[in-house]
Amino acid sequence: MRYVNDVSLPGMTYVAVARSSVPHARIRSIDTSVAASQPGVIGVFTAKDLQVSTYGRSVRDVSVLADDKVRYVGERVAAVVAESRVAAEAAAELVEVTYDELPAVFTAEEAIAPGAPTVHDAPWAYPRAFITEEQGQNRQSVVEEGSLEAVEEALQKSAFVVDETYTTSAIHQGYLEPQACVADVEPSGKVRLWLTNKSPYILRSQIADCLGIEADSIEVQPIALGGDFGGKGSPEEAPLCVALARLVGRPTKMVLRYTEDLLSTDARHPARIYVRIGCDTDGNITAWSQDALLDGGAYGGFKPAPTVSIHGALEPGGYRIPAFYSRSVIAYTNTVPKGHMRAPGAPQATFATESAMDELALKVGLEPADLRYRNLLRTGEADVNGREWIEFRGQETLDAALAALRIREDAPAGWASGVGISVYSRTTPTSTSSSMRLVPMPDGRLSCEIGVIETGTGSHTVARELLAKGLAMLPEDIDVVQVSTDELPTDPGAGGSRVTASLAMVADQAIKAWRARLEDEPVLVVVDEKGGPPVGSYGVQIAQVAVDPETGQVKVLEILSTVDVAEIINEKSHQMQIDGGAAMGFGYACLEDLDESDGQVWSANLGDFKLPSSRDVPDFKTVLVRGGRGVGTANVKNIGETTTPPTAAAIANAVADAVGARIRDLPIRAERVLALIEAAP
Amino acid sequence: MTTAEFVKPGTLDEALAAMTRPGSMLLGGGTSIGILLKNRLIEPQTLVWVGALPELSGIGIDGDGTIRIGAAATLRELARSELLAGAVPVLPDAAGRIGNPRVRAVATLGGALVHGDPRQDLPPVLLALRAQVDIAAGSGTRTAGLDGFYHGFMEVALGEDELITGVAVPARTAWRDRYSRFTPGSEDDFPTVGVAVSLRVGDAGLVEDAEIALGGVDSRPILAAEAAHSLIGTEGGGAALEEAARVAAAHCEPGDDARGSADYKRKMVGVWVRRTVAACLSG
Amino acid sequence: MRLHFALNGEEIACDAEPDALLIDVIRDLGLTGTKEGCAVGVCGACTVLVREVPVCSCLYLAAMAEGAPVWTVEGIAKRDPALVECFVEREGMQCGICTPGQVVSAFALGLEHDSATEEEIRGFMSGNLCRCTGYVTITEAVRSYLDHR
Repeated sequence: MRYVNDVSLPGMTYVAVARSSVPHARIRSIDTSVAASQPGVIGVFTAKDLQVSTYGRSVRDVSVLADDKVRYVGERVAAVVAESRVAAEAAAELVEVTYDELPAVFTAEEAIAPGAPTVHDAPWAYPRAFITEEQGQNRQSVVEEGSLEAVEEALQKSAFVVDETYTTSAIHQGYLEPQACVADVEPSGKVRLWLTNKSPYILRSQIADCLGIEADSIEVQPIALGGDFGGKGSPEEAPLCVALARLVGRPTKMVLRYTEDLLSTDARHPARIYVRIGCDTDGNITAWSQDALLDGGAYGGFKPAPTVSIHGALEPGGYRIPAFYSRSVIAYTNTVPKGHMRAPGAPQATFATESAMDELALKVGLEPADLRYRNLLRTGEADVNGREWIEFRGQETLDAALAALRIREDAPAGWASGVGISVYSRTTPTSTSSSMRLVPMPDGRLSCEIGVIETGTGSHTVARELLAKGLAMLPEDIDVVQVSTDELPTDPGAGGSRVTASLAMVADQAIKAWRARLEDEPVLVVVDEKGGPPVGSYGVQIAQVAVDPETGQVKVLEILSTVDVAEIINEKSHQMQIDGGAAMGFGYACLEDLDESDGQVWSANLGDFKLPSSRDVPDFKTVLVRGGRGVGTANVKNIGETTTPPTAAAIANAVADAVGARIRDLPIRAERVLALIEAAP
Repeated sequence: MTTAEFVKPGTLDEALAAMTRPGSMLLGGGTSIGILLKNRLIEPQTLVWVGALPELSGIGIDGDGTIRIGAAATLRELARSELLAGAVPVLPDAAGRIGNPRVRAVATLGGALVHGDPRQDLPPVLLALRAQVDIAAGSGTRTAGLDGFYHGFMEVALGEDELITGVAVPARTAWRDRYSRFTPGSEDDFPTVGVAVSLRVGDAGLVEDAEIALGGVDSRPILAAEAAHSLIGTEGGGAALEEAARVAAAHCEPGDDARGSADYKRKMVGVWVRRTVAACLSG
Repeated sequence: MRLHFALNGEEIACDAEPDALLIDVIRDLGLTGTKEGCAVGVCGACTVLVREVPVCSCLYLAAMAEGAPVWTVEGIAKRDPALVECFVEREGMQCGICTPGQVVSAFALGLEHDSATEEEIRGFMSGNLCRCTGYVTITEAVRSYLDHR
């Protein structure tokens, strides 16, 4: 497999950048003379050399190089182009920047406080901004749904109410391939680009808008991606590398060191979520309010949308809720720009709401599973927005989870054991805009050209198996190849649990066209499917933990994932999404934290930002609840983002079950658990 | 990078001569120096690699039971040594839990001792074992106790012209040694606290001599001498053990970091001194 | 400086800076199977064998490999094709960026142990991170390799 860092072009030059050492400052001056005089250095460039505008996936607020201001530690200030990577990196350290430091905001709470320092003077003025001046300073987005008035009224009348605030940490996607870019600009102006990016078709216009060129002059090359998890959708270093390639007249290559990746790419938003849930004396939910404040970091443009979904278990209509209110505010702060990561918003929200459900169960005197069971929607009911779904299988999924649960008896001597449950449900996208070409090969094999990058989720395997089934061929007789953006009209990119459903829709059309073709020629299909009634999938997780009461150490022994499924195209890829998603949920719950206090990322390498290792992870068990109704003729449901969101609440609920300590802040560190144990009456 | 020369001496004398060149730096396995070098945090002009020096290799035992380990012995060699497993099992046990197989394959005992990061595992283990370090310089050799070797954060009592050639651990007759590394997050991490305990227990079941050493809870690895002393003459349990744990916790000066606050680390010293002493006595 | 070592069984000579890292020398020779991930010795994507033990090539100075046998994933794949087969069959490779390092570490485990328990496998392989799989299939691949040698 060839990745961006493996690409080498004749005449290649190497790029490294000088990054801001301060969280918020005006740039008074940049002295590049010493850096420029170093051996092997071709040129040192600052914003004034580039002649580009800002970029972004949604709001275009990101500077290619900082112009007059820096807004976080790690922001790109100047770029060195050199004959080697080592020479570029050494010279970048010699760029001297003089700053006039400004007061800064390091948390969302600080940012929205009256009179707070402003991160951007007029964020509403950026192209495609999602906010207005009236919504206030330091906001990236404000989204409100439902009726706060109705909730307040219903809470007044509720027999039991949970009223708690939960917080979560910033974490990085943790892909092992750092972000990288190779750019080559031909004399004609044609740009060839290799980028660690999963949405190549959309990427072209994002770069073109920034550089002032035509989108179709950019050809994004097919390349393998060393992990994504939501972190590889932004143009990242591409506008810089293309601009520099134009300036030096040679191809440019930039590969981030992992520390740079942790300091400057698009981590998951930390959140503070205020939850209120009311119910009657029988445990029937009467009102539900979730009010989330998220730290969006210094720029909003790393996200494909200016918002994250904080709906957690409610996304496709999890529970029956008569009065509902939801608000999410994403604030600008002087920290690493945040982005989307595996089920953006849901891990934060599900930790909060599914923890709150257990707290409510305790008040009502119901088993946590019973409280959930009685409130899960049944097929035929409408969700909180009044929409009807193809089906709701939450109760079946919960039943199957409980039936499969086997209590572990391997906690170390003297440790307390606990069991915790968490429910999550997620929609399967039913619309897509994609294309596929089937090309007959002389040897009788079939070549399938798609625009979907293999991010590591098995998408190419899925395409192969779909076609093999539809065309009655052997999978090994079909080659799935990702082609450059010049070769096919469109593709939505990977993400949003959409790849399999999208591939199924386009493969369905391709199979029909292939069967109907008159000559043995390539067949191209383009689909623009608007989608039918919503399809959802439930994931119920049960965590079993052991807690050392003297140290607060938590060992997660097992995570049982029970998933509502329809047809499964490739059992192994499907299972790995379940296990990998739960492993990521475990890391989020127990280990990972960028630790951005004071605007500095303190966990700035993988020695300090701990990803779970093979001996850290719990045992993963799975139950598939088959027989669901999915999307399209392939009858599939989403899987990639189903098992990450519920994990943290399941573990926190298990810890509470074991030692009575209610964790409301992630990650679940031993020290926090011990403090709660000691504070208990 | 600025390094002009890489020297691989064939003898100790050649190594000592190479060290006199301006800007020279010793290299064992390179796991720490590699990171510092590539981030340009150090810029030595000459690297002197002693990881393959025959005079620094080998693991042996003297007639009086003194265990001798060459400074260039890797953690992997320590972990797999049958001689050590028989003579001083705490050492291979601790060495085998450090880092990962790649780090253990190249990281050397000498490098582990001079790096001076207080979170390392071997320094407290060797402190509790009352290890002596053999030091060579162009002007001659000397032997020093490991106690007193650590001055502060990454500061060791070693001259610029000196190198560690080996470590001597006194015979373990009647001693019981244990090391606990407490990693409440990832097992693949520095310990929040590391506690090494060595006890000499008499026939009557009384503790006749004791050492307790701590890692990760001060600017350097430290001995908790007063705590250890309080165990002597006792059976090592009950009130005496509680007292030793309390004194050890009071003795250290940890800092706040991602692996725990100072208060938590101090508390964990108490818990793990108690547990480690108990483990020593139970077998 | 001039370096000589046996790369995947073939004697080679090349020029390198005195402080060049082994990963850069190997990749400059065109063997790009060895990957740089964390660059601090934690993730294992850069694992190669030097003198038959696994090392982090991202921290290992190339000069330290002078005269030594060095094996990268490309060479290991030829030296023990059965190992690669086990990974292809069992690992169900996802993004693939950690796989070369996993393969070299699995080979190193095989050099040290004829057999291993689940716990020993996970302990030895814990220095090779994977963000995709949750390690179930990697552990299965290593187990299958040890069982079928």
